[in-house]
Amino acid sequence: MNVTEYIASGILESYVLGAVSDQERREVECLSSIYPEIRQELDHLSTALEQYAQAYSVEPPASVKENLLKQLDFEKPVAPAVVRPLPVDPWKDGSPTFRTTWLVAASVGILVLGFAFFLVSQLRTNQQTVASLRTANDSLKSEVQQLHTQQSRAEQSLALLSKPGMRTIELRGNDKAPSGRMLVFWNAKTREVAVEVRSLPPLRPDQQYQLWSLAGGQPIDAGVFEAGSNNLAIQRLNRTIDRADAFAVTVEKRGGSPTPTLSTLLAMSPVDA
Amino acid sequence: MKRQSSLVSESVLLEKLIRRDQQAFQWLYDQYSAALYGVVLRIVRDDEQAQDLLQDIFVKIWKNLDAYDATKGRLFTWMLNVSRNTAIDALRARKTQPSGAIRTDEESVHIVDRQHHTEQPNPDHIGVQEVVNRLRPDRKQLIDLVYFGGYTHEEAAEELNLPLGTVKTRIRAALQELKQLFKS
Repeated sequence: MNVTEYIASGILESYVLGAVSDQERREVECLSSIYPEIRQELDHLSTALEQYAQAYSVEPPASVKENLLKQLDFEKPVAPAVVRPLPVDPWKDGSPTFRTTWLVAASVGILVLGFAFFLVSQLRTNQQTVASLRTANDSLKSEVQQLHTQQSRAEQSLALLSKPGMRTIELRGNDKAPSGRMLVFWNAKTREVAVEVRSLPPLRPDQQYQLWSLAGGQPIDAGVFEAGSNNLAIQRLNRTIDRADAFAVTVEKRGGSPTPTLSTLLAMSPVDA
Repeated sequence: MKRQSSLVSESVLLEKLIRRDQQAFQWLYDQYSAALYGVVLRIVRDDEQAQDLLQDIFVKIWKNLDAYDATKGRLFTWMLNVSRNTAIDALRARKTQPSGAIRTDEESVHIVDRQHHTEQPNPDHIGVQEVVNRLRPDRKQLIDLVYFGGYTHEEAAEELNLPLGTVKTRIRAALQELKQLFKS
């Protein structure tokens, strides 16, 4: 091809001005790499245009350079730096720092939650223990109370029974109360009388059992008593009996009667000599 | 000239730049930012946009240094082309935006006309400026239209109401004159 003609065609001038098609541009670049004359002409034109462009130079504000120096990623200077920064720069990317912070916060949160849960469950266990201990204590207290009561009654009974001259008479129910059984304690010297109900039928609320002593064929009021299940202990009767041939039990109205109702006689037993 | 004295070390500079050397970049910026800013400013004619574009251009240069082929042309020419293309693209994008300031083609001509007497010349380049002023006005106008306005030959012909052949001839004559002016 005729290089001189090509140079004179004006395409190189259009090329440096940026006014060529992509195909023309590739053509110029290709030919300039083959023909030194074309390359030389191109360099001259470029230099001329560079200088032309420089004629319009305007100093940009310093902020542009500052921004660029912040924005671009430069290699750290190698030679003068004896102490190199750590390869992992925590400030280079915000996310690891953020992630670490988040992880620490979350861990602390979970620990606090776990500890709080532990405390609450511990508290609940303690409360349950206290409650059961309190119940146990209460039942023990009432048990001790019962034992106290029983003991004092037993002591009274023992004191009563251990006095000299005390006699024991067993009364058995007749056909009106076949399973009825009870004991009468009587001391002729001290005139004290007491009963211990082993088994007697329960009565209506307005009724009571009444003990009678029979002396010379005459019934004498020996006092009223209950037949409840909780009255297993010895009941001391509030009467003084100095003579008795036999003892009998009738059902009377509450508070007792002056004379026994014979139709309700349940048991009778003579005092053995 | 300052720039030419540094040409010797252009390959060294390029090597340093590809290694992401900060000092090399600073040198590159100090050396060429005024020329590139002047070109961009001449194209977009808006200080704020020109500053944004200049920043983008240096980022592009920085990122595409690998793509620069020294066998195909000079580094400064390559940088000028990056700047020019970026600015012209931005100018066209702005023109096609319906909400933005609408510039008719007529206004574009006025802009090109105003270019002769708007910019304050950099004191470093007063000598260059004098040389440029010796260029024939009709040729200068054409260079400005094509180089700073991004006009194709056809657009320039239509704009100046000249035959396409005349435009082509005049472009060649303008650059040949420029070449001769700077040779002396």
